[in-house]
Amino acid sequence: MRALCVAMLALASCRAAPGAREGDGGRPESASRTLELVIRPLADGETGLVVRCGKLITCDAEDTIFAPGVLVVRNGRIEAAGERCDAVPKGFEVLEFPDATVAPGLVDLHTHIHSGSFADVNDMVLPVNPEFRTSPAIVPGNRMIRRGLAGGVTTLFGIPGSGTSMSGFGVLYKSKLDTTYDEAVIADPGGLKVAEDSNPQREAGDFGVGRGALAWIIQDVNDRAKASIRAGSDDPGLANLRKIHTKELPVLIHTAGSEGIVNTARMWRVSNDTRSTLSHGCFDAWKTSPAVIAIGMTVNNGPRTIEWFSSREGRVIGISAEYLKNGARNLSMNTDSPVVPQEELALQSAMSSRYGADGLTMLRALTIHPAIAFGIDDRVGSLEPGKDADLIVWNGWPLDPRSRVELAVIDGSVEYDRARDGQIF
Amino acid sequence: MKLRNLLSSCVALALSSLATAGDLVAIKAGHVETVSHGCIQHAVILVEDGKIVTVGKDLPIERGIPIIEAPDLWIVPGFVDPYSRVGLDARGGSEFNPQIRAEAELFPRNEEFEETLETGVTTLGLYPPGSGGMPGQACAIRPVGATAQEMLIKSGSYLLFVFRSDARSKKMLKDAFEKADEYVEKEKKAREKWDKDQSKKKDDKKDEKKEEKKEEKKEGTAADFQDEVAQDKKDEKAEKTDAAKGYVPPEADEKIKPFLDLRANKLRMLVTLFGAADWLHFSQALGKEKIGYDLRIALTRDIDVYEVAKQIGEKKLRVVMEPEITTMAGTLRQRNLPAEFVAAGAKLVLLPRGDSPTALKNWPRNVGEIIAAGLDRDVALRAMTLEPAEMLGIAERVGSVDKDKDANLLFFNGDPFEPSSKLIAVMFEGRIVHGEVQQ
Amino acid sequence: MKLGHGQLGRRILLSVSSALLALSFAPTASAQDAGGEEKKDVSASEDAAKKEEDKWFAVINADVYPGTGGHFRDGTILAKNGKIEQIGVEVDLPEGTTVLDAGGLRVYPGLVAYASSGLFGASSSDFADTVNTFSPNLVMALGNGITTAGQSGAALKLKRGEIEGVLMKEKATTLLNFSAQNPQGRRSLLEKFDASARYLRDYRAWEEQKKSDKDAKEPSKKDSDATIVQVLRGDVRARFQADDREELLGVARLAQKYGFRPVIEGCREGWTVAEELGRAGAYAVVTPRDRTDKSEELVAAGGTSIENAAILRRHGVQVAIVPSSKGVDLGGIAGRDILALTVEAGFGVRGGLTNEAALEAITVVPARLLGVEHRVGTIEVGKDCDLLVCDGDLMHYETFVQQAVVDGKVVYEKNKELFYAHIRPNIDSVLAPETRVDKGQEGAAKPAEGEAKDKEEKKDEKGPDQGDKKDDKKD
Repeated sequence: MRALCVAMLALASCRAAPGAREGDGGRPESASRTLELVIRPLADGETGLVVRCGKLITCDAEDTIFAPGVLVVRNGRIEAAGERCDAVPKGFEVLEFPDATVAPGLVDLHTHIHSGSFADVNDMVLPVNPEFRTSPAIVPGNRMIRRGLAGGVTTLFGIPGSGTSMSGFGVLYKSKLDTTYDEAVIADPGGLKVAEDSNPQREAGDFGVGRGALAWIIQDVNDRAKASIRAGSDDPGLANLRKIHTKELPVLIHTAGSEGIVNTARMWRVSNDTRSTLSHGCFDAWKTSPAVIAIGMTVNNGPRTIEWFSSREGRVIGISAEYLKNGARNLSMNTDSPVVPQEELALQSAMSSRYGADGLTMLRALTIHPAIAFGIDDRVGSLEPGKDADLIVWNGWPLDPRSRVELAVIDGSVEYDRARDGQIF
Repeated sequence: MKLRNLLSSCVALALSSLATAGDLVAIKAGHVETVSHGCIQHAVILVEDGKIVTVGKDLPIERGIPIIEAPDLWIVPGFVDPYSRVGLDARGGSEFNPQIRAEAELFPRNEEFEETLETGVTTLGLYPPGSGGMPGQACAIRPVGATAQEMLIKSGSYLLFVFRSDARSKKMLKDAFEKADEYVEKEKKAREKWDKDQSKKKDDKKDEKKEEKKEEKKEGTAADFQDEVAQDKKDEKAEKTDAAKGYVPPEADEKIKPFLDLRANKLRMLVTLFGAADWLHFSQALGKEKIGYDLRIALTRDIDVYEVAKQIGEKKLRVVMEPEITTMAGTLRQRNLPAEFVAAGAKLVLLPRGDSPTALKNWPRNVGEIIAAGLDRDVALRAMTLEPAEMLGIAERVGSVDKDKDANLLFFNGDPFEPSSKLIAVMFEGRIVHGEVQQ
Repeated sequence: MKLGHGQLGRRILLSVSSALLALSFAPTASAQDAGGEEKKDVSASEDAAKKEEDKWFAVINADVYPGTGGHFRDGTILAKNGKIEQIGVEVDLPEGTTVLDAGGLRVYPGLVAYASSGLFGASSSDFADTVNTFSPNLVMALGNGITTAGQSGAALKLKRGEIEGVLMKEKATTLLNFSAQNPQGRRSLLEKFDASARYLRDYRAWEEQKKSDKDAKEPSKKDSDATIVQVLRGDVRARFQADDREELLGVARLAQKYGFRPVIEGCREGWTVAEELGRAGAYAVVTPRDRTDKSEELVAAGGTSIENAAILRRHGVQVAIVPSSKGVDLGGIAGRDILALTVEAGFGVRGGLTNEAALEAITVVPARLLGVEHRVGTIEVGKDCDLLVCDGDLMHYETFVQQAVVDGKVVYEKNKELFYAHIRPNIDSVLAPETRVDKGQEGAAKPAEGEAKDKEEKKDEKGPDQGDKKDDKKD
């Protein structure tokens, strides 16, 4: 009976949304965690926020959706999520969005907008740059980041371009606007960016023009880093790369095409045991994806989400749908911004969904999946107690292009308020 | 030179001394594919003066007639390539020149013809060169002869129209027929006038008019000698009939004549199409005009003409194309267009994949690939022999093993479409011109 | 596609004659055969013969969203020779009608792409003589709902595999340059407008004068411009490419001065001068996702706004929406090309348009701009029967066109074409969530479905129940 009741409520909110259909439609919404929240009063110096909404999509392990939903935030962290809370102690700011949907802030692992333009992303002198870091180029709160925020993106991995094989270390940061470097950055370095296949294969006649030499160049520096770990050396140029091989830091590898992704998976999962995520995986890569998934490689798809030319049957292939069909468990999406504008991250999942992928999984591909891939799921990616209060209030299903961001909250503070700031996107 | 070559090669065939025309020769063959009336086992073909006299099963052979013994061989009619530029090299434009005739380019002393004959192609249709528009009229030739006239079988086999979906192509066709209409109108008026004059003046001025007309014609005639020959012949005919009646119709423009011929069914049109849409636009431009035409499909890897195969098949049109497997646009799905068109009801002519000796040599093998992919074998053989002969308007002479036809016969040591089969000998008009047979 | 080929639930309207009902279960029987059989029973009067010549087509059991406001369930749209003859709930179908059973799916008017490229092969001018209506791009466009497209100022119908009737209007719009970047061109255009307006005035006067004075002299066309005369007469729409606020105001002033309604393409800063544009009767063709930052030196509002379309519309500017790319882009980045008309319009909704207004921006408004609104853009009696049968809200990003109908003929069926057939092939699983929720319960109550071959019949049984249920819930 209760299950039915929740379903009907969900239905009501479905109807309120601009689209009659939502990505999560049809899924029985969890009623087992219907919670009446009891809120402890604020202590001195504490800040508190209560967000009431028509629907709360948590993206937790059970895909819990509360409808209606309440989220309690204390000192920038989520204290509780549930269905209702009647008594709010004094001092808590209360935000009422009875018709809106609240979802976790979106996470994009492949972005190049940290400097506010496409400049300062490549250092094109040496083929491998394990010393290179993007952090000096970051301009927190720049226009591109701001638009991204208005598109619901709260966490970004800002990385160097793919002009060189080992492009350097990127920075994980939040899209806070009026902020400083220290406030915005989650981790510097946040991880390594490697580029295999295509782009770094230079045609200038230098070493690394082909895939074989390219692999050798990358493996050579990996071997040096591993040797330096064994030797206990403190070669500063390899300091960060050693962290890749001790699994302290993750690595994101630009690779594409059916052969490319297989080589990448072998190098970063078999030859080197790393916390690696394969990024792009476009074109005909879907064809060899079972081999890559079997090795345990995590995939971060984008900016291309469909493929037509490699289908022998004239089918328009939804790339994400193929990865999911082939067993990918932690698929995430990227924009490769500014290749696809940062604010259109949600559209990447919407299009994946249009071309065959499951709707709710594609929302997870923008939230908890990338967080897990980069080991920041203790802080972002879902709306669960203890995590950073990074949340987006949407006036509809988050993946629907028709839905807009009403409010973007990062670390418990309202960074973007459509009503206050005007609609940026 | 050419003839000498031929003769010397015949002399070289020490075993066969049946090279002289007028001789009677009988062929006893295990397997004769007549194309016109099926396959005959243990067949006898009697050849006299280069023509087939009889074909039949186990016919008695008169004593004294030399016999070619081919009990294990397959005999098929000589191949007819109706769309060829063998021996020609000029490149054409894309203008409106329907009056041009391909034989004007004919250069008899060309070794390519000999090579062609050796591949089993015993009849060629030569087309005028052009990348668009109407480059002129094709002719049918024998690949043998010391002069162009000797080679020519038929002038004006078809008018080539390289059609593209554009306003220019469509206008070209419409304008031509409009001009033809204008001429018909003009002719009608002239006739009326003549009738009127006739009733007034009777027949006293007849001779004068005839002379006038003759002069006019000379001016308009192309410099080329074949053209003159052909024209003269026609003129003779025309004069005979018209002069008898006393009425001389006004002269039509050289560029308009072919369209009068088309309407009168004296000439066919071969329309080159590059895709399905071209067919729609061509049909629209042709409108209600009733002419005989065939369609050459210029194959590309993923051509979409299958979209209109049904329409073309329903009209029982003849389609002319190379034996190629194509794909469906955007996919690797294979399409056997020749088989599809035949299934839809169209008549089929298959062309070699090119004019080079290698392409001609591979022709039956390439057709074999299409047969393997589903095309009916008999249709395929007909598509290389009788069907192109009909398309060229010379089916009374070549294309099948039949009485009164030229004795153009190919001797294979097996099914011609099998890659392992070899062309053992070529008989051209009763002579073995290539290879060797037992006598 | 003939009678009974509707591969969805093969439900049939009870109002359909029994003969038709029988035929609907014989998918191979053609409508013409049906007519032939009928004739034996019915006396072959002249009327009957006449009826046979007419081509009847109907979509039945549809949730009809006609684009004229509102919608209704279990609707039938009947077309005669490609034109909509009747729309309603209880419509009697003439014998021999080709029936498409929409089985509770939604039916919308075909979309109108204000501007496109590459849908008709390489054709870019002389459309009547050059269109390639077999082009895969055209089929893909149909698969994404486009049935009418503008190209190079012409209006074209996506009549697959046909060339007659593709060109709806050869010169619907004409591009004029009134950019401040080109002062000389601006001046010369003004002069042309002056001269043309003068000529038109004189011409009209002459027409009056002629009635009384037969020898009145026809005014000279000197300096007037034939195209601009057409614009001033309202025969052709003038379009301008303008984004900048000042440029937009310039166009508005020009239009007001000479009394015509301009079509403004781009119109990025239109939201800053929406009132002026509204007063000038301007139409705007916008891309909601366009992005330009305003100049740092500018004090006034500027740059692009996601709310552009909504603000313009609020001020009376009729808005058409186009994606940033006019062609079909299969490079892999989805949702930005001509196939993404509904996605782009969706961003219009994000910026404040209603769903209906956004749909108008890709149907009736562009139809109006192309001068073909009397034929396409909405489902109305007398208009061309260009319909989309969709598995959900057309504006939803997951919705696919299941069938596209152009001029009363099914020209696209998702399940029979290469491109999208593999995506959610089972139509029941992709219906809107309210249906899906219902289905879950219904499915549990019902015994499991048997063999695949029985499936379709089962659907027949299940279908109407489901429809009833939906109605109940609505009440």
